[in-house]
Order: sequence, then structure tokens, then C-alpha cells
Amino acid sequence: MSTQQGQDAKFFQRGKIEEFRAELQAAEAKDKKFQKRKTVLKKIVANITMGNDMSPLFHDVIQCIGTPLLEIKKMVYLFLVSYGRSKPDQIHLVIPSFLQDCNDRNPLIRALAIRTMSYIPIPVVTEALTDQLRHCLKDRDPYVRKTAAICVAKVYTADPRKAERKGFVELLRDMLIDENATVVSNAVAALSEIGDRQDGVIFKLNLTIANKLLSALGESSEWGQIYILDSLLRYVPEQHADAEMMAERVIVQLQHANSAVVLTTIKVLLYLMNYMGDRRLIDYICRKMGPPLVTLLSSGPEVQYVALRNILLIIQRRPTVLKNDVKAFFCKYNDPIYVKLAKLEIMYRLAREENAREVLAELEEYASEVDVDFVRKAVRSIGRLAIKVEPAADKCIESLLKLIETKVTYVVQEAVIVTKDIFRRYPGKYEGIIPKICENLDALDEPEAKAAMVWILGQFADKIDNAEELLDDLVYSFLDEPAEVQLAHLTAVVKLFIYKSQSEVTKALVHKVLKWATEDIDNPDLRDRGFMYWRMLAMNPAVAAEIVLAEKPAITTDSDRMDRGALDQLLLHTGTLGSIYHKNPETFIRNAAGRALIDSPALNANSRAVLVSLARPQLPPMAISVSGPGPVEPTRPSQPSEATNSVPLPTIMESSRSDERDLLDVEGDDGAGGDSGEGYPEGDDDGPVTKAADPYASLGGAFGGYVTDVPQPVAGGSRGGDLDDLLL
Amino acid sequence: MAIDGLIILDPTGRPIIQSSYTTYPAAYPLLHIEALNNALAKAPREGSVDPVIYVGELSCSSACCHVEVGGMRFLATISGDVDPLIAFAFLDAFTEILQDYFGVVSVATLKDNFDIVYQLLEETLDSSGHPLTTSPNLLSDIVLSPSLISKLLASVSATPGVPSVRQGGSFGSNGASGAFTSPIPWRKAGVRHNHNEILFDVVEEMRGIVGKNGTTLASNVFGKIESNSKLSGTPDLTLTFTNPNVMADCAFHPCVRLQKWTRDNALSFVPPEGRFILADYQYRPPQSAVVSNVPIPLSLKANMDMGEFGGTFALTLTSRLIKVMENLELKFYLGEDATSAQCTLSSAGSSVGSVGSADGSWSFNSRTKTLQWEILNMRSSGSWILRGSWTSKIKAPRPAHAFQIRFEIPSYSFSSLKVDQLRLSSETYKMYKGVRMRSKGSIEWRW
Repeated sequence: MSTQQGQDAKFFQRGKIEEFRAELQAAEAKDKKFQKRKTVLKKIVANITMGNDMSPLFHDVIQCIGTPLLEIKKMVYLFLVSYGRSKPDQIHLVIPSFLQDCNDRNPLIRALAIRTMSYIPIPVVTEALTDQLRHCLKDRDPYVRKTAAICVAKVYTADPRKAERKGFVELLRDMLIDENATVVSNAVAALSEIGDRQDGVIFKLNLTIANKLLSALGESSEWGQIYILDSLLRYVPEQHADAEMMAERVIVQLQHANSAVVLTTIKVLLYLMNYMGDRRLIDYICRKMGPPLVTLLSSGPEVQYVALRNILLIIQRRPTVLKNDVKAFFCKYNDPIYVKLAKLEIMYRLAREENAREVLAELEEYASEVDVDFVRKAVRSIGRLAIKVEPAADKCIESLLKLIETKVTYVVQEAVIVTKDIFRRYPGKYEGIIPKICENLDALDEPEAKAAMVWILGQFADKIDNAEELLDDLVYSFLDEPAEVQLAHLTAVVKLFIYKSQSEVTKALVHKVLKWATEDIDNPDLRDRGFMYWRMLAMNPAVAAEIVLAEKPAITTDSDRMDRGALDQLLLHTGTLGSIYHKNPETFIRNAAGRALIDSPALNANSRAVLVSLARPQLPPMAISVSGPGPVEPTRPSQPSEATNSVPLPTIMESSRSDERDLLDVEGDDGAGGDSGEGYPEGDDDGPVTKAADPYASLGGAFGGYVTDVPQPVAGGSRGGDLDDLLL
Repeated sequence: MAIDGLIILDPTGRPIIQSSYTTYPAAYPLLHIEALNNALAKAPREGSVDPVIYVGELSCSSACCHVEVGGMRFLATISGDVDPLIAFAFLDAFTEILQDYFGVVSVATLKDNFDIVYQLLEETLDSSGHPLTTSPNLLSDIVLSPSLISKLLASVSATPGVPSVRQGGSFGSNGASGAFTSPIPWRKAGVRHNHNEILFDVVEEMRGIVGKNGTTLASNVFGKIESNSKLSGTPDLTLTFTNPNVMADCAFHPCVRLQKWTRDNALSFVPPEGRFILADYQYRPPQSAVVSNVPIPLSLKANMDMGEFGGTFALTLTSRLIKVMENLELKFYLGEDATSAQCTLSSAGSSVGSVGSADGSWSFNSRTKTLQWEILNMRSSGSWILRGSWTSKIKAPRPAHAFQIRFEIPSYSFSSLKVDQLRLSSETYKMYKGVRMRSKGSIEWRW
């Protein structure tokens, strides 16, 4: 009688359709307490979970739907979930049972019935569901109501315009003030799902409803809290005070045990901060965000990884968060490699004069580890540290020289690559170490390292006594080198010639290389540059010297921070896939709705200046002005009106944004479908954003070109590292 | 904002159970399974695969979040702009539920109870991927645990008249969704116990890094208050501490009233039934306003001598604590090419000085290339010494430059957190209460 443990395992064998059918038929005759049917159905479900096709049993299985045993009903419904959609011609047989169950006394069964129906997108089923759903949304049992809320999203997916006409969106909206917190959060989840669709109604919150949702927060399950918190991003504060009040109510959620709740809370806080005016409060919130982020690092490696990727974004926009916590990111020997690499990046970001010594000591430690990838990153970070923190440069160089002495090839190569950048950052300061580097010429076999070495030899040919010999040696394999090394060679020998035009060796060398470049190479870049140099040297060597040896702009690693506007936007996706890959989701996820800060009187001037407006697909292409990468000039608070004019307001705001009673802007719900001017093209969501309207086209550099390893020329004025710049 | 579905793979990478990917093409789950298996196969080492794998094939760009549980892989696929942390938090919650239901989560238990696992999946994750109820308290009302089913069946057969909740011909609508009519989402209504008790375990874990020169680079103590509650009715509890300010950066179970904690530093809550984690915190040493390190309760002196094809070492461990440390374990990775190790144990100081299992043991695992030294009981005085040498296939061996040390300290807490009292209001019965302290540590000691 009792279920036999261990017996079920044998159900996991290839199903025999005929056998099951026979067993089911046999069970119809005599089946005490339905045990036989239960056993057969269990076998069938087991086969479904293994991916075996059980659909031929459709007719036999649905015979059992009336069995008054919940376990059996559940299994029949599982079967229907799997195969219902593939049997449009037979599904009508089940509809009467569905309808009966929708009105069962047991709320579990009512919920089960509508849930299962919502999984079967066949017109007859949807039709039947539409009627039932209306009752279920007002069911007296909260379990049914919360299930019904989610079903609305399904019905909406099947036919958005029809669901709107039937008034489901309004019904859902009314659920936002349900007495049961689980119902509220599920309604929020459903509305969010609808609002995230490109063809969906716009889901926005006003202050009253946002506050209502906040009060449901305390009684919701952790998942419900996530939906509610996330939906707060749909609320646009009109006044600083609104944003500040809301942040104060949300901030306690930082103490939640669920890591996803914590990260969602941080996302909301980051968002609200854009609309705040009180510097002290912003600073306070920033300080509050640090510890929970550190606490996430005591979780498993997977959570750590997600947290670290997000921290990296957050500290670029809000450098005061975690300012003093660099120790929390020290790598442990046993950390998985993906955690180590992410930590390393953050350590570099957090490095300042005050902690540079500690950070450097750690980096040196890592450079002696076994994992090649990690060691390389560590060595490179030492060089970047030298470039970023001037007072620490001496120590970093010392440490690089020590590493070069280890003669471990990949260490030496990385060291050479970063040394080149250090020379550019501190011209005339560290050239004394060149001989040491030259001792390791033979160790270099990677293009990047070789190119760096060649660059150093050419640039400082006047300070290296035997530069021509060394270059002559290296040039030996010129024709077999990759293009980047060949280009470096070409420029280097030209520089050498300008420095030492008297030397016969040099003359022969430059002649040889120019000849190769112009005659034996197919690469047009190389050939053109060869010709150019040749002519310059031939016509006017003095001008050539001026051009080739022109003073180079100093470089900094500071500008490898992301563009502020792009950051603001990415932070709206905190915790999501976008923040892991540091890309805007709609650039790599199909049908993802973009997010952008929305203008309001409360939006602070600096955020407005870099505002990226978001186009909906149906809108005509519009001019978008985005400040380029580089530092954001602090704007005086008296200037915002000018800044506003230069940026077109997002059109979403055109709709009644301060209408107190209307919490949803249901556009096109007047029965006109998508035909009205404001509506959306129907049934055409395959081509999400046309090229012309792609608001990120101009942001390509900000995302794609985000290579933190590459220091870039200082643009315009100096950023000065003033942390307060980013506060507002 | 949703998870597409969940797939459980056995150790060979074949699916055991997966949620119904009804709105996706049939190839969709397969694609993710393949992506994960490929990534795992390509990984040079265990645990080096990114936990979030981007799957960009076909037109569906999505990601696959995976964790290892009992030799199996649990993977949650997400598409759209979803928080991978939701996926991981859900996987954690689901694993916990499985543990709650089956005790052990293994291939065997899952296969034996696949129908229950499947029901649980349906109940915790709806097909549009919203995590629903994951509180074990509430689930137990909707999906019966295997032990409960057999009990119910037994009782039905013995006394047919017993009103069963979901067994037999009529569905009682009374208990069916009792969980959801309960005003408290984490606790079902109407719990009764003959013997009311609540137990708290305060577990603190120190994590630290000690640098080459013996200075502590970083050390933090993370604490957890684990509870086991068996209380009737709706017990409203208030837990106060004599020194609540040692707890910083707290994170609480949803049952804790956060405002009250902010105001009075008292934990006010209505607990769920059974086991749950009431709070996580970080220990903040009282004297320090700024960041400072908690002192590490032991010290290690390492004399390392690297030679060709191997090296020698002498390690001396000393306790700095009055309490006895237990199950101390020191691990030392000798490098990919290590072949063998030879050690001798000794101890010095006030202890007996005998070399035997009571004082410790060592072993070399030739598969993981790790030397392990264990001391079951480390008393407060005296020191323990491990001398030895190892051999390697290569001329310049590259062992880890760090020792991994783990230890436990029973009846001790780094923070000296002390419970002041536990008050029960809203119920009148007497309850038994208990608090226990326990500490452990994991230290990375570099040389």
C-alpha cells in the first residue's frame, strides 16, 4: 500500500507506450483507491522528465482527469503542460474538466486549473481561461488570486491587444492594493513582465502606489520583495524629498539575508540617488551600501562572482562606496580563478596613495603564484598601479624589475608591456632601467610584448648605445612577424635613423625595412606607412624628425573608467546580466527593454547632462546627444536649464506623469488597438530597434571599447580624482 | 525578471530532471546543457568555469547559471535582463528544500522521488520563471514529503475515518491553502507542540590572511545565529543581547522586524517552524573605530628550504588561546609535479611530547598533491612541529606560497556575543530555550 522507496528508480527506463496504455485500460476496470492508475501515471511522468515522447498516450491520460485524487490530477495536469499545445485538435476534450476544476471547492485545484490552462496557448483554451480568470482574480482565496495574477501575464503574451481590451491590465492594477502581500508582489511581477515587453503597456508608478508597495514589502516573501523593489525603478521622483524619503524606507532591506534582495535594494538606491539633492544623505547611503556588498563576499563563489562584477560597476560611479575596504578584495590562494580576476580588477580600482603599499604587496604576492592568467594580470596591474598612483610609481618599478629578474617568460613579457606605458606616463624619469629590460630580448615571443620592446628601442634609441644592433637582431624575423610587430619595427627604425643618421648600420637597417615594407608586404597599412616614411625621410628629414618624434600626450589609466552616462544607465541594470558582461542588455538580449534615467525636476544636473534617452521602436529617429568618453565637467547647479535643452526629453514622459490617480498608462486600451498614433505596431516585435533609432549607436565606444588594460591619452582637462565630482 | 527553468544534471552531465520549458523550443534546454558540459570539459581545473555562462547560439541569447550540489550540477537558465543572483539564490533555496524533504540530496534520492521533485519544481517556479514559494514551512502543506505520504497512507489504511488533508475522495478545502491564508508568509497557522522549545546556535567563522612576515593582512569574523524553533501558535519573540554593538552589518531572516532592530538593537520576530538562520553579522571589535583586524588565535612559523626537485620544511604551530582548538587541519599544496612527502611530528613545551595520533597525523594526497597535517586537540600551551621534505619531478618546484589552516573552537565566540534574554509575548505557555556558541576559522598563512 505504501509507496516503496527505491522502487521509483526503475521507472527510469525507456517507456513502452503500449504497455502503459494497456495498464491504464486495465486500471479502469478495477482500481482500489486508484493506486494502479497512480503507478502508471508516475511511470509516464518519469518518462516525460527524461525527455521521452509520451504524447501518443494523450487520449488515455486525459481519461484520468476526473479521478478524485489530487496526486493523480496533478500528474494529468503535468502531462497536459507538456503535450497540450501539440494537440490542438483534441484539447477541447479536456475543456469541460478544466472548467469544472476552475470552480472546485479546493483553492489548490482552482489554481492548478487556471495555471495549467495558461500554459496551453491554444485559442479554445485561452478563450475558456479568459472567462475563468476574471473570477479567479477576485477569488476569496489568496493562493488562487496570486496564481491568477501570473496567469494574466501569460494571457497577455498570447494576445496583448485582446488582453487589454478585456480589461485585464486594470484588474491587475487593482491587485496592487490587495490585502495579501504575496498577491501584491505577484501582480507587480506580472505587470513588470508586461511592461518589459516592447509591445506592452507602459508600467509606471506614482508616489501613492510606490508607497503602498513599500508597505507591502515587509510582509512579502523574499521573491516578492525583489519584484516590488525592482518595480520602484518605474517610479520617477518629482522632488528631491520624494526620492530621499523613499531611499530611507528602502535602505533597511540592505539587511536582508537573501543576496538577490540586497543587490536589488542597492540598485534602487543607486537609482534614487540620481534624484537627490542632499549631499550628506547621498554620502550616508554610499557608506551604508559598502558593508552589505562585502558581506556578499562571504557567500559561495558564484554569488561572489556576480557581486564582484557589480561592485566593479558601482565603484566607478560611486567611488566612495568601499573606499576603505580594499582588504576585503585580497585574493586567497584557493579562490576560483574567475573570482580572483574580478577581485584584482577591483583592487586596482580602489588603489589610492593611502593604500598603494598594501595593494602592491598583494600584487607581488600574486605574481609568484602558479596560474598563468592570474600572474599575468597581477604583473600588468602592478604597471597600471604605477601609472595610476604617482607616489607609488617608484616602488612599482622596483617590483617590476624584480619580476623581470625571475626570467619566467610570461612574467617578463607582461612586465615589458606595462613598462612601455610607464615610460609614456612619466617621460624622462625611468629610462635608466632600459638596459635591464634589454637583457631579456630573447625571452620575448608574444606579439604584444615584442611590439612594446621594439617601441622602447626606437623611442629611446639615443639613450641606448647599441640600439641599432639590438634592432638589427630583432628585425631578422621581420617578414614572419604579425602586423602589429611589423608596424612597431617600421616606426622604430625610422626613429633610430633620425637619432643616428650617421651610422652606416642604421642606414642599412632603415633601408632594408622600408624596402621590405613597401615591396614584400601585402598589408596595405604597412605598405602605406612605409611609403610615407620613405618620402618624408627623402624630402625633408628635419620635418620628419619633428613628426616622428613629436611630443606624445601623457597617458593616464583614469579615463578607462566608463563614460558617466553609460554608467548611469548600466547601473539601472545592477545585478542583471548586463552588469555581468558590462553591456547594455538590449545590445545582446533579444526583446530586452532598455532602461534609462528619466528626466524630472528632481534629476540632478550632472545626471541630466549625460542623460541617454531611450527610444521605443515605433518612434521616429531622433537626435541624441551623448557626451563622449572622458571626464564629465562638473556643471554648476545654475546651469541645468541649458543642459536640459540640449537633450531631448524621453518621450515616455509625455504621458500624464503627474496624474495622481492614474498609475498605469495603458496606451491604446481604448479599443483602437495599435492603430492610434500613440500605439505600437502589432505583431511585429522581431525587429526590435532599427539601426537608425538605436540610441546606443553613439555609445559604441563606451561599451565595446571598454578595455581597462589599455591606458588612454588624457582627454581635455584633468579629472583630478575628486571623488565629490561623482556625488551628484 | 524571471528564470526560464531549472535543469538537474547527473555527474556525467546527463539530465535527471528538468522543469517544463513549455514556452521554449525543444532544443533550448539541450543547448544550455551542452554549453555547460562543453565548458566543464574544457576547464583546465575543477572550479575554474565561470558560474554564469553566456549562450549566444541560435537567436536566443541567454545565460546558464550553475552550481554543484552533491556531485550533480544544478543549472538555471536565464534569458532577458535577469539578475543572475536571483538564479543563484533560487538554486540555493531549492537545494535547501530538497534537503528538507529528502535529507540527502543525491542522484539516488532525486531519482527515487522524482515525482515529488517535479511537484516541488512546479510549485516553486512557475512557467514564466517567477520563483514562488520557497519557504519549506509553506511548501510542506502543498507538496507532501515522502515520509508524510507514507505516514498518511498508513493512517488511512488503519483508520479509514481519519479526515485526511488531501487523501481520499473529497478534497478538504480547509487545510489546503491554510499556508496562504496565514497572515505571516513564512509561518503556517495553527502549529501545535506538546513541548515548546527554541534553540539558538551562534556560529562564528574567522577568515583571515596572514602575510609573509607574520602580520595579519586581513581578518574578519562572520557570525550566524542558527535557530531551531518548535513553538506553538504565533509566538512573538524578543531577543536581546548584553553587547549588541559587537554585531555589525547584520542581515536578517525576513521574520525579523528591521525597524525595531534599528531603534532598540533588539531582535523582534515571529519565527518560522523548524530550522532557519535568524541573522548573519560581522563582528566589529569594540575598541576600533576604523577597520582593524581581529587577532588570529594561533601562530605558525615556517622554515622553508626550496631545493632542486623538492624541498624541506619545518612548521611550528602554537596556540594563542586558552580554549582548546579542535580538528585543526593544515593543508599545503606542493605543486603539480610533486611526487611524495616524508614528515616527522613532534611537539614541545608543556605537553607530554609523545608522537602519536593524539597529537596529530600527516598525510600526502598524491592526487591533489596536497600535504595535510591534522591535530585533533590543540591545547593552549606548547607547540606542534612538523618537519619534512618533499620531492618533485621538476627541477624548480612551484608549491603554493600559502598554507590553508582550518580549526574549530567549541563553546567559544570571537565576539563574546552574549544573549541577555528571550521574551515571549502573545502566547502563554512556558518554553525551553537554549543558546550555544561555536567558532571556527580558516586562515591563509603565506610564507
